[in-house]
Amino acid sequence: MTTPDAQSRPVRATADAAPAVRTGARVADFEALLQPLLERAYGMAYSLTHSRADAEDLVQEAALLAFRAFEQFEPGTNFKAWYYKILTNCFYASHRKQKRQGEQIDLDGVPGLYLYARTAEVGLHAQTDDPAAALLGRLDAEQIVAALDLLPEEYRVACSLYFVQDFAYEDIAQTLSIPLGTVRSRIHRGRKMLQKSLWKIAEEQGIVRQLSEPPASA
Amino acid sequence: MNLPDRFTCEEMFRKVDDYLDRRLSVEEMRLVEAHLETCARCTHEYRFEATVIAQVRDKLHRLDVPADFAARLHARLSKAAGGS
Repeated sequence: MTTPDAQSRPVRATADAAPAVRTGARVADFEALLQPLLERAYGMAYSLTHSRADAEDLVQEAALLAFRAFEQFEPGTNFKAWYYKILTNCFYASHRKQKRQGEQIDLDGVPGLYLYARTAEVGLHAQTDDPAAALLGRLDAEQIVAALDLLPEEYRVACSLYFVQDFAYEDIAQTLSIPLGTVRSRIHRGRKMLQKSLWKIAEEQGIVRQLSEPPASA
Repeated sequence: MNLPDRFTCEEMFRKVDDYLDRRLSVEEMRLVEAHLETCARCTHEYRFEATVIAQVRDKLHRLDVPADFAARLHARLSKAAGGS
């Protein structure tokens, strides 16, 4: 559409419009890659922070950083790993400012098959063919996150990538820039610590007591 | 690496984490599965560990995302793009 003014002025409207169009396309391109990851990204962030407000901030902060660096991202390469590298770096940067308070789980007194042994001790194996499902079925997502929150940071990050993102060891190694052997160690030890913290949560919430009570007779 | 003909329960205990994550060689996987076919206790333990991992993963996949989360992110990205 031309206006009388436009007829006499140099053609700058198109040049001025082009950057806005390019910007909009750049946002669209970026969001097309990010959108499929958002739900799990939020889950990952919540697993790391145990705060819904902090989780949203973390995902947004990482997305903004990634967007600003989008021109450095090579199309066709692993956007998911690239984004989660940024997200975990954001988490480490923000968490270094906060001193860790409260109890943390360690591996002292955590033999292999910890939950298996604990559930057997309270008689759960005699009650059901699937004692793991019987215990885990009583825990909701919030309680799982609370259990993860008790892990030391490096194990919590590795386990969050493992459980929430279903990352293979190689993806975790790439995301965290650590050797494959270190990933394996953190996942194995992290899973053991998580079993201890899950049992702790289950005990504190009265779930263990409920499970060890004999079923009511008909 | 020289592997035995069969895994003992003690060897199974050491291998179960790597088996759960499919980090064993083809031959080691075969030895684990051969042992599980004949050992009820190790099978019970393995299934317990596998269920814990699967259930933790399933519950964490079902965390509720706040309403309008994507819309708020879009607004921030658009604002950032407009300022660049």
